[in-house]
Amino acid sequence: MSETKQASNLLELFDKLNDLKSVFKYGEKLIPIVQSLIDFMNETVPLLENINTSITDSTSKIPKAAHQINDVTAATELATTEILDIVDMINIDIDTIEKDLKSITEKEKQKLDIILKLQNAVKDNSIALSLLQKYEELNSEYKNITTVLTALQKIKNNSYHITLSLQVQDITSQQLSAVNHLISGVQDKLATLLVDFQDTKTEEFEDRKIAAPQDAAFNPNAQYGKSGARQELANELVKSNSNNGSRTTQDEIDKIFS
Amino acid sequence: MKKVVLVADDSPSIRKFVAFTLSAKGFEIIPASDGMEALEKIPGGKVDLIITDLNMPNLDGFELIKSIRNNEEFKETPIIILSSLAGSDEITKGLECGANSYLIKPFDPKRIIYEVAKYLN
Repeated sequence: MSETKQASNLLELFDKLNDLKSVFKYGEKLIPIVQSLIDFMNETVPLLENINTSITDSTSKIPKAAHQINDVTAATELATTEILDIVDMINIDIDTIEKDLKSITEKEKQKLDIILKLQNAVKDNSIALSLLQKYEELNSEYKNITTVLTALQKIKNNSYHITLSLQVQDITSQQLSAVNHLISGVQDKLATLLVDFQDTKTEEFEDRKIAAPQDAAFNPNAQYGKSGARQELANELVKSNSNNGSRTTQDEIDKIFS
Repeated sequence: MKKVVLVADDSPSIRKFVAFTLSAKGFEIIPASDGMEALEKIPGGKVDLIITDLNMPNLDGFELIKSIRNNEEFKETPIIILSSLAGSDEITKGLECGANSYLIKPFDPKRIIYEVAKYLN
């Protein structure tokens, strides 16, 4: 009985030894993997430090970028209002010149009328008639005023289109505000990462936060387009809202002003 | 006597643009840089028409229109929205708040003259 038990114990011991052998064999296979893991970690740590430095660097640069965008918006706003002022002054001057030229044309027409009457009155006096004809020729120069008036009208139309195009400033300033808003969001995310990496307090980033301009109300989807298709939708909705108002097309408005 | 138009927009260039478009047609312009300033500047019964942006700091255009429509004195004052918001939701909301017309930026000056004249002449 005891011999059988001993044999059984020995078998159990051999089993355990086999298990141990398997563990060692598995360990032998595992050691290179663990080694490569350690190598990977060794390579990753400097990489993570590098990322950490980059994030810190980027986070510190973001407010500067945002300030520059705000400065660009302010500068273009100022330039636009200055251009609008100048265009306004040009238009006022053109109106004055137009008025004066029209008045001159009217007076010259009256002069010509008098000359024609004089020509009729002195038709028997050849010298007087010839002098009056010469005077009429010299006086007819005023007809060139019509060309000047046409050119002025063209300048007025061009200045009108300049002002129309200047609305792009409002659209771009809204788009830049949207970019600033996105940058601010990225800065917040980066600051959160830095807090995790460096065990830094969130308050330390508060003073670096992007100061949004006071008038930071914007439409991120603002578009600069002159097609009028978007206005058409508004016209339809206005019409259906009022029910009694008739819809006016851009062509009809252009006809009124032409 | 000149008709008075209040223009509420946070963009100085748009205020100026609207001002010189309408003042050339004989309208007097009162500029306001946001909804709050617009409410402060609307003097007793002296504003004939209001043009307002929607995206404005302090008090936006929707709230401005609601405040104006809640005031008995300005219940019938024509209001034109001038905004870059072009979605049907925003347009519908603006009209439901009490606006009479809706113009989308960038706008044609002829259109704004036409709209203002429609209500004031």
